[in-house]
Amino acid sequence: MTNLEQQIRQAMQQVAELSDCQLVDPIDADTLLLECGLDSLGYAMLVAQLEEDLGFDPFTELEIDIYPSTFTEFLGIYQQCANNL
Amino acid sequence: MQSLSNQLANLTRTGVITSACEHSSIAELITKADEIKEQYPQLCQRPIAIQYTNSADFITALIAFDGWCSAIYLCPPDVSIPEKALIKWPLDNDTAMTDLSIKQLNSTSLDGTQTMWYMATSGTTGEPKWFSHSFLSLTAHTKHSHKLQALCWALLYQPFRFAGLQVMLQALLSGADLVDVVDYEPLAQMAFLKHGDVTAISATPSVWRQLLMTGQLSELTLSHMTLGGEIADQILLDKLYRLFPKAKLRHIYASTEAGVGFVVSDGRAGFPTKWLEDQTLSVVLKVSDEQHLLIKPSHPVCQSLAQHTDAQGYVDTLDKVQVINDRVFFLGRATGTINVGGNKVHPEKVEQVLLQCADISQVKVYAKKSALLGELVVADVMIIDTGVEQEVKQHLLKMCKKQLHRFEIPTKISIVNHIDHEHSGKLNRKQLHD
Repeated sequence: MTNLEQQIRQAMQQVAELSDCQLVDPIDADTLLLECGLDSLGYAMLVAQLEEDLGFDPFTELEIDIYPSTFTEFLGIYQQCANNL
Repeated sequence: MQSLSNQLANLTRTGVITSACEHSSIAELITKADEIKEQYPQLCQRPIAIQYTNSADFITALIAFDGWCSAIYLCPPDVSIPEKALIKWPLDNDTAMTDLSIKQLNSTSLDGTQTMWYMATSGTTGEPKWFSHSFLSLTAHTKHSHKLQALCWALLYQPFRFAGLQVMLQALLSGADLVDVVDYEPLAQMAFLKHGDVTAISATPSVWRQLLMTGQLSELTLSHMTLGGEIADQILLDKLYRLFPKAKLRHIYASTEAGVGFVVSDGRAGFPTKWLEDQTLSVVLKVSDEQHLLIKPSHPVCQSLAQHTDAQGYVDTLDKVQVINDRVFFLGRATGTINVGGNKVHPEKVEQVLLQCADISQVKVYAKKSALLGELVVADVMIIDTGVEQEVKQHLLKMCKKQLHRFEIPTKISIVNHIDHEHSGKLNRKQLHD
């Protein structure tokens, strides 16, 4: 597991606790984001948390061609943005 | 006299409404509405509060009561009835018994009443504010054509709110079908939209992003896409255009208070600068010195808007805008009201909750931009004793969870040493907004 993936998973856990959501276990590469246990507010909070942790928000900085549907796609968007920095 | 039932009677075809795979034809609902009027003639010319239960019953009540009752209040489920004199619909047993003793009016001769429609917006204190509309003003932008009749709309907004009612009326009055998916999670919504062969969607930008996140939006064949209720950004507009290049893509600016709005259909965020002060438009637009959008509707506005209306009839929408070359862009609410995915949050209400904590000396609640939900609620707090930061934060969160809707709870609480004030002594939320 990369450092970035670890940070994202930790932030997901943090947001889930804060918003009384229960994450599914396990969250695999192909797990649909909308079935992870976070709702739209949870994902907005996650992106805000990751912006604080990582210093960037790919959803405002990148021209994203497709919205992420799976955990891998979500991770990929952050990876791509991190590589561009 | 124009009323919903009269308009429906003039249609060559009426549609079908589907909710959780259960179908109700509008023709059936018209019959049910007639039965209600026959069964309860004492409701004629009385003001009525419709408590929302489900879309089919809601539409039935609208068909029955518009043009027949003096006023209809569209009550969200969690909102109490504004006045005691109002009759609550559906009737409870007590009301039905009491009202049966009231002298019956000749309902047939009075059919044709000009009904006032009242809709609620959330107020600063949490108490709703009610704004009046007429059937004519609500349907000013409703379109009719054979093409529109063949559409199947998705209902993704609550129909007792302005945007939801607009979608519902557009579907009803054009004879189109409607699939109600308001109460479902995005993946379930997508399943119903696919099952119902939905061809037209009107939703907030936040809901559009959630539909995109399902990865299944492209499986629909959309010919009409509408965004409203929040600021539509260029990234999202471009994405939807790429997905459905042949579809009509529009974003709508609407004011529940003024009961008017306008449509932008050139695929670009904001609206053209040349629209400002163009007297040929149905809604004349102007930007004030404070950079607020002013609108001058063609119909008389609700009395409660008088204080925001100038001598020329322009209503201050309290929406902040910025003119950049040929485009006018929306920035957010001048009042500091936060828009979380289409849900209005009054910072004052959240501040009042946070200030109940004895460890807090000052607090400021404001918006943080979010690419997914438009805005999020965040709070800065000053605490009296240092060294208890974590405990205070947890206590604040607990209080918020007890007293606020989920979208109103600050997503982040920061302990700060200083909070800015304006000269008036009011909190300076503007800096953070801009």
